[in-house]
Amino acid sequence: MDPLLAYQTKKQQAEKYILIGGPLAVAAVALFLLVGLNDSVFQWISGLLFVGALGFIIVGSVRFNKMVADFKHNFLKDKIGEWIEDGVYKPDQGLGQNTVYGCEFLQSADRYHAEDFISGSLDGVPFQMCDIKLEERRVEHTKNGTRTYYVPFFTGQFYVVDFNKNFNGALQVLETEKPRSKRPFKKIKMESVQFNKTYKTYTTDDHTAFYLITPQMMERMMTVEKNHPGNIGFAFIDNKMYLAIDNNRSLLEVQMFRKLDEARIAGFKADFDLIHDVIHELKLNQNIFKEIA
Amino acid sequence: MNPIVIILLVVLGIVVILGLWYITTMNALRQLEVKVEEADSGIDVALTKRFDALSKLVGATKGYAKHEAELFEKVTKWRKGLPDNLTMEQKQEFQGRLNEVQSGINVAVEAYPDLKADKVFLNLQNSINEVEEHLQAARRLYNSNVSTINQRIVSFPTSIVAGMIAVAKKDFFEADTEKRADVDVSF
Repeated sequence: MDPLLAYQTKKQQAEKYILIGGPLAVAAVALFLLVGLNDSVFQWISGLLFVGALGFIIVGSVRFNKMVADFKHNFLKDKIGEWIEDGVYKPDQGLGQNTVYGCEFLQSADRYHAEDFISGSLDGVPFQMCDIKLEERRVEHTKNGTRTYYVPFFTGQFYVVDFNKNFNGALQVLETEKPRSKRPFKKIKMESVQFNKTYKTYTTDDHTAFYLITPQMMERMMTVEKNHPGNIGFAFIDNKMYLAIDNNRSLLEVQMFRKLDEARIAGFKADFDLIHDVIHELKLNQNIFKEIA
Repeated sequence: MNPIVIILLVVLGIVVILGLWYITTMNALRQLEVKVEEADSGIDVALTKRFDALSKLVGATKGYAKHEAELFEKVTKWRKGLPDNLTMEQKQEFQGRLNEVQSGINVAVEAYPDLKADKVFLNLQNSINEVEEHLQAARRLYNSNVSTINQRIVSFPTSIVAGMIAVAKKDFFEADTEKRADVDVSF
């Protein structure tokens, strides 16, 4: 049997439990509200129905999550190995906080979550990436007590690319964020009015900014911004290029009730378009940016 | 309050505001001038590095590109290799001469595949490319600063302060020296 079809079958089986449990739970609540409020027998019946429904939902969710984990650890892992040179995929791991905050423009989160770690190289350019979710803790004081909850302020992808070009200062090219660094970043303007409208440029050394952001690079960064919706930020620090895109989505997500077929796999592959575009558009695959052995 | 006192206070207020504006504008223009000077010295550093790198390349290819080696010798004699105390036009001319030597060498080595594949030669070429990129960055930074100060100088009322403290418009560092036939630099 085709492995993808096998996963789709498993997925459908898990979904069946949810499809039974969901309506059953609604029916149980409806029964309780309509007749169960004044009748103890119906209270019991609706209660039992609800417990049964909950059982179906739990079993369905557990089976679905198990199938997703199996799919990611085996099927997708092999696929990523095919798509990316030296591709390594660790679904349950992510980049460390130190690496992510190394970009020096993301606000430190109260709750940090990273998953779907991928490393490898595209056209000889090594990179690492993962999904990250950064959340801020909020505390609300009401007359009923204190409520603590978390609000996400960044949900998207984070990339680290080797940038083998020597430069002294640090540079950040950001759409909306601002530097969060001890370094003396200052805002500068590049020659292109359009570029300055799209991105804000911050640097610790004017020469470094003009050295790294050539007119061609400006055009390409604008192309990247145009082709990929979301809030984009670039940082060039210590021979690394950091790229963060806050697009409110996760890569490689298997969704319930969405068919897992070749088209979906093609969609997963297309998720690598951004890093592919960045490496190609910024021409990081050219020799001047590649480490010479 | 006495109307004369009021008028005097108003006049005094206007004078103070004008004085503060004058000082602020003067400081801003001076700071911009310093930025232009810093960028100018950045060009000097990059030109010097480019000259040094090219000097090594000429040494390595002397046997293959004799004409270029002679041309480079003339550049060396002219400025002793360093762009100190050159005007912006002379710096452009200096860069033009270095470009001429560089492209001459590039053409000359085409006929010697062994040399082109030589590791030392390749390293020299790479270092020249890097130096060239730094020179372009220094040029763009300088021109960006010149553009900023020139815009301020021609804008009213800043132009009044610029005239009073003798801050004049600055020359841009043009990339293409071939078209600047009016520059007379003899070797």
